[in-house]
Amino acid sequence: MPNESGSVYGLTILSPIIDDPHARISHDLQLRMHLGALPRGEDSPFAKVSSTHMARLTVMNDVVYVGMPACEEHLQSQYLVFESNFDGDLDTYLRRMATEIPDHVDSVWSHCIGYPGAGDVAAFESYMKKCQLTTTFYFADVNDKTVQQTLRALQTQAAVASFIERNQGKPAAELQNAFTKFLGKLRAAPDPRPGSGKDQSI
Amino acid sequence: MTNITGKTYAMNAITPMKPWKTWILRGFFFLLGHIKPLQADLVNLSFIHFARWVVIRRDSFPRLSAAQPAEDLQYDYLLFFSNFNGTWNQYIDAFSAVLGKGLNLVWFWSEKYPGAVPVTPFKQYIARVQFETDFYYTAYPHATTNDVKAAHRVQQALDTLADGSGNTSPAEFEQAYVRFLVSVQRDLGSTGLAPIGV
Repeated sequence: MPNESGSVYGLTILSPIIDDPHARISHDLQLRMHLGALPRGEDSPFAKVSSTHMARLTVMNDVVYVGMPACEEHLQSQYLVFESNFDGDLDTYLRRMATEIPDHVDSVWSHCIGYPGAGDVAAFESYMKKCQLTTTFYFADVNDKTVQQTLRALQTQAAVASFIERNQGKPAAELQNAFTKFLGKLRAAPDPRPGSGKDQSI
Repeated sequence: MTNITGKTYAMNAITPMKPWKTWILRGFFFLLGHIKPLQADLVNLSFIHFARWVVIRRDSFPRLSAAQPAEDLQYDYLLFFSNFNGTWNQYIDAFSAVLGKGLNLVWFWSEKYPGAVPVTPFKQYIARVQFETDFYYTAYPHATTNDVKAAHRVQQALDTLADGSGNTSPAEFEQAYVRFLVSVQRDLGSTGLAPIGV
């Protein structure tokens, strides 16, 4: 499947934006203002859909004219671009978007033509699939680890570095004892929160 | 900057292609996808988390209702999305220097593409066809691609040490611990904020 690399799925959505000449503020501008104000860290809506590695939303106003001798042409609609890289299959991901962050999804896609709302999950899935573009070539450098596995590994990496520093030169028995305690604490630590980027001390 | 979250930069670009050329490009991507050694430079660069190219036929832009005017285009379009570490300049420099030949095979079919070398017209072209990101999220903003790979190696080595350390004597544990240290010593850099550049 061209949209997949290993266990990671690359979703590309182009949703046409409503063109309403009577709107006080055009929908593309409303969208840009809304997207610019969305939280990006651990409070981001996509942190709640925790299988998301990376995602972006942006308004594509038009195609680009590259100069003569190319022809100049323009789009009839503006499009909302949604690009996401996530674990698992598309149906599960879209269902999670509709059920776990419905208000955020509605506040973005309500500016788009034909959007049925996240309340009707089946209609939402169908709508998103109508807007989906098939990826021609998809590259994922690490394509066999989930978001949670990666966050855990990053937590482990920081904790191990700290453990090594704290226990340099200790006698073997003391080192072994400290390692056993460290391992128990590391494994009992809560899952790191997606989007936070903070190292949790163990 | 909107294109950057933590250590990762979101790049978007769109270029026009004559429709007959898109089939050649699709053929190249088919080979790239199925012959893994062709991706070696992309993997070895090791600062791209995820990247994709999407060819949109001129009559395939999503149309959701009869009221939405149909697109009337002469060109097909190539969309490029990348999630990479470092600054825009570093990225384009590396693309030009390391992946120049490969990139030429991808963008040669786009109108007015100047080639990846020399780098100045290449940068001017990319700047012209790039459009900005309004919202960007990453689950691990403080980690680069290399950090992620290193962290998984540390995790695997730690799991191996833990599995083998159950009923060992302190002396045996110490030996295993030293072997563990040697195996992970290059992978212990800490993550954190990166300086912002352009």
